[in-house]
Amino acid sequence: MWVGIYWTKVSVGRRYQSMMDISPGHGHPHGVQDYPENPYDVPDILERLKRAEEALRLSRIGSFTWNLATDEITWSEQLYRIFEFDPQQTVTLELIGTRVHPEDIPLLHDMIERARSAATDFQYEHRLLMPDHSIKYLHLIAHATQNGNGEVEYIGAVQDVTNRRLSEEALGKARSELAHVARVMSLGALTASIAHEVNQPLSGIITNASTCMRMLEADPPNVDGARETVRRTIRDGHRAADVITHLRALFSSKGATTDRVDLNDATREVIALSLSELQGNRVILRVELANDLPPVTGDRVQLQQVILNLLRNASDAMSSVDDRPRQLLIRTRQDGDGGVRLSVQDTGKGFEPENINKLFNAFYTTKSDGMGIGLSVSRSIIEKHNGSLWATANDGPGATFSFSIPRFVEAAAARRG
Amino acid sequence: METRPLISVVDDDESVRESLPDLLKEFGFNAQAFSSAEDFLKSDWVGQTNCLILDVAMPGMTGPDLQLELANRRQEIPIVFITAQRDEHVRPRLLAQGAVECLYKPFTETDLLDALNTALRVS
Repeated sequence: MWVGIYWTKVSVGRRYQSMMDISPGHGHPHGVQDYPENPYDVPDILERLKRAEEALRLSRIGSFTWNLATDEITWSEQLYRIFEFDPQQTVTLELIGTRVHPEDIPLLHDMIERARSAATDFQYEHRLLMPDHSIKYLHLIAHATQNGNGEVEYIGAVQDVTNRRLSEEALGKARSELAHVARVMSLGALTASIAHEVNQPLSGIITNASTCMRMLEADPPNVDGARETVRRTIRDGHRAADVITHLRALFSSKGATTDRVDLNDATREVIALSLSELQGNRVILRVELANDLPPVTGDRVQLQQVILNLLRNASDAMSSVDDRPRQLLIRTRQDGDGGVRLSVQDTGKGFEPENINKLFNAFYTTKSDGMGIGLSVSRSIIEKHNGSLWATANDGPGATFSFSIPRFVEAAAARRG
Repeated sequence: METRPLISVVDDDESVRESLPDLLKEFGFNAQAFSSAEDFLKSDWVGQTNCLILDVAMPGMTGPDLQLELANRRQEIPIVFITAQRDEHVRPRLLAQGAVECLYKPFTETDLLDALNTALRVS
């Protein structure tokens, strides 16, 4: 958003009405609040213009007029500064052409041609090649008006956006590098996760097959024993296949996220599943599920995977705690912004504040035997549900992990059906 | 009469608990399986175990935890770790703490037999 103010040095009194905001929808910054009530109060106008010019200089904005009929062009002082021309020089399209970056000359010609034929507002960006071979990026915006003689006259503003463009380029480069790293990381996380889950049943398969071979080679062969090992081999084979199916469902983009899910029910199921594990870890579980919790939109199984992961993390974080109760509080409630929030609070070892950003990185783990995949996968699941997952340090010992996802909307389900 | 060495398997994964003891018996060992480190410690088999095949990552007491606990109790049982997580940092640490071997699942019967023979020579 930026504001262009038009004037000419030669005829302030006549042209002050043209003082305008050509950026619609925004206020008038830099003290140019109102049009003057008294059109003949020239000193006041001059004072205002002086302030406006100072503001424009600071924001690297120059302004111009361009009379299509006469090709008469007027520039503000700031525009001369941007182009690094002597303010005494008469501005012509040819003069402008000497500064425009050679590669952008076609752009300039195209702009001039379109401006002449269409006589409508336009904006474009081009570069200048300065005498010292440095490059400036300019953003130009022009508005077509009619002057007193009925001639089309463009008034416009030119902003030097070099700094912005350079930082945008740097940002774009950083973004694409980051996106690449994120892709690689999620691929790495996926690979490690698959490897772990598949290696378990593979181990069973190979051990059973080895046993089977030995039983058959015995004299006499132990056929009953061999049959049993084959049965287990088949079962473990299916188990490995299930892991793959499960992972594919977890990471596929089409994952159905439009079911109506009662987060309280989903949470109760997860608690029932992990109760013995929690008790085995001497965890004291407190459950506070909100009575009036609205349903959420999502994939029940994926959300339960996230809840399970948060419960396990909380439990693991307390496994070395012996000087205080290992308390785990799981809580659901309505969020202020129409979402539903679930939080898992523990009294475990917590995390160092400087590590808060690393927590969700794949392979970052505080566990001696953990892979550091759970939280990064959990966060990607929650983000797929248009929600967010975050961690906060408790006032006391331990940490709280929470996620918030939008509540169920009827239309979302209707669209699917 | 020669008594067969007792190999105890501690792993929370059921397929390992089912399959490994049978293979160990085929090797000619006696075998016992436990689903947690706690169960093993509570059992009467600790003193009779000649070698422990121990999963690294388990809920509750982990494999390395059990290794330390046994060391504290002066129960010098040779340990062969098994793990489904191929972590190049964990293996040297476990070996440095006195483990005989650390096998990545899935392992071959040859690797397992080699590790067990080393372990039993140590004891």
